[in-house]
Amino acid sequence: MTKKVLLRYSAEKVKEPILASIIKETDTLLNILHAEFSAEGGEILLAIDAPDAEVNRVIKLFEQKGIETKELKRAIQLDEEKCFDCGACISLCPTGALRLTDDYSIELDEDKCIYCEICVPSCPVRALKVSKF
Amino acid sequence: MTKTKVNKSIAEINDRIKRGDAVVVTAEEMVEIVRERGEVEAAKEVDVVTTGTFGAMCSSGAWLNFGHADPPIKMQRVWLNDVEAYTGVAAVDVYIGATQLSETRGFEYGGGHVIEDLVRGKEIEVRAIAYGTDCYPRKELEISVTKDDLNQAVLSNPRNAYQRYVAATNSRDETIYTYMGTLLPNYGNVTYSGSGALSPLHNDPNYETIGVGTRIFLGGAQGYIFWEGTQHAPTKAMGTIMTIGNLKEMDARYIRGATIEKYGTSLYVGLGIPIPIINERVAKTTGISDEDIMTNLTDYGVPRRERPILKEVTYAELKSGEVEVEGKEVPVSPLSSLKQAREIAGILKKWIEDKKFFLAQTVEGLSTDQVFKPIKHITAAPVAKDLMTREVVTAKPSDSITSAAKIFAKRNFDHLPIVDEKGKLVGIVTSWDIAVAVGTGKRKLSEILTPKAIVASENEPIDAIARKLETHRISGVPVVGTKGELRGILTSEDLSKLIGRRRK
Repeated sequence: MTKKVLLRYSAEKVKEPILASIIKETDTLLNILHAEFSAEGGEILLAIDAPDAEVNRVIKLFEQKGIETKELKRAIQLDEEKCFDCGACISLCPTGALRLTDDYSIELDEDKCIYCEICVPSCPVRALKVSKF
Repeated sequence: MTKTKVNKSIAEINDRIKRGDAVVVTAEEMVEIVRERGEVEAAKEVDVVTTGTFGAMCSSGAWLNFGHADPPIKMQRVWLNDVEAYTGVAAVDVYIGATQLSETRGFEYGGGHVIEDLVRGKEIEVRAIAYGTDCYPRKELEISVTKDDLNQAVLSNPRNAYQRYVAATNSRDETIYTYMGTLLPNYGNVTYSGSGALSPLHNDPNYETIGVGTRIFLGGAQGYIFWEGTQHAPTKAMGTIMTIGNLKEMDARYIRGATIEKYGTSLYVGLGIPIPIINERVAKTTGISDEDIMTNLTDYGVPRRERPILKEVTYAELKSGEVEVEGKEVPVSPLSSLKQAREIAGILKKWIEDKKFFLAQTVEGLSTDQVFKPIKHITAAPVAKDLMTREVVTAKPSDSITSAAKIFAKRNFDHLPIVDEKGKLVGIVTSWDIAVAVGTGKRKLSEILTPKAIVASENEPIDAIARKLETHRISGVPVVGTKGELRGILTSEDLSKLIGRRRK
């Protein structure tokens, strides 16, 4: 299963090519879902599709290089009791994490979610929730 | 009407239902039957076609009667869970409308939610005030009730089940929030409503079988059509119906309060109409498919009554999840639940097969030529060019901050539009920008101008511009022509003058 890891960079660390060096070193494919930087540092949200041991190794390397890491777990939830499959959310989702199936049910693929939260207020019955860990 | 080969009466069809040998299919199933066998054979074979829709229907509400207190009260104003209900009728009758907002929770809770909570059997806080009369001396009342405590709770909706609706998109470079949902900038998405081939009124657009007295599926119970709906426009394939049913018998799966982001509250209503196949003409109209139903893709970025139409699209295209707008494929959201529309058509079919639902003979037809007129306007609403200042002092990007500061000092204004050699607007500088520039040692206007200024067009209504000023918290907008050339400037001061003029 894909794991999502949030990296927090301090202002000094931003200057180093840490992500590139870890990709080179581990040969693991790291997918950047979201990135945001300012004068005070920044954040990168990674999706890592690899065996657990591999993921843990990547996380450890980031920490050794002074990057704060946090594994994000099940952060978006679709309350299927509340949802009545209207589809208001699907055209707003930038990654296709929310989609309509052939029988017009809403399906949420959490691996694709980048937590942009555009869908959350668009739901007429508040069936979508993003919880932060 | 021309003579038909197949002629069945409602009584005959009801007899078949009673005997358990009526043939009932959903409108989706009927598409194939008519396509394969033709309308005459389909009319011989099929007795009833069931339809369904589950969408936001703002023109919905419920009549409630509380019974009398002792001493009695003539309720003058009433709130249900802080949502005000209409009381301009007798002492203890109220109408709770779907879009009325809670006075404490705003968009998060409204009349639609009160109605859903009543259906769910939840307790509702009732607060009433009155002026007091000799016969109704009580002036205040606070109680909590459930639907079981009420004498009547009747869902009574002035406009339901639009035959079809326009599809919406947005040309502006900002996200807008409309009753058609959230519309992303630059045609970033499309939304639509209605169930296409399953649409109740699209299956009998000539109103041969649908009329006053038609028994329907309404919110999970059996309800009725009691008139044409408000804004009924059958000649434009935009027919509507008024519906009524016992709220106490309804199921909250098919009656849901809803919040439309930054727009308001509404009520999702589940509705299905059985179409008796009395002849091949009706069989043919129930054979309509998503490919046959067209609607206009409309630009909601233009806040006018007549919104620009970009193109025609079919419900088949809309249901596919993507439509082409200005050369790119754009994702589509259905705002009504196609899954539940299909479910409702299925339930109605089952009710009829199980002899729990019989067709009603209509007592009156619905209009087939009614036209939906716009409001009677007394004066034309003013537009930007009626109020804007045409002689605008401008500057060039290469001008110095000092020269601009002098202009501001000499003249009493706050906005300096910056134009290029051809008179095209390239940005705006405010007196505040100048103050900051002086403080931070900037030299040229090009360093400080706001390049993506909020602008208005010459024919933009003043009300739309007032909203722009308010939402962007700005005090003026340059008015530009179609090629971006500066034509004038309009400030909040100009708008205040207008109000002064209106009051005279």
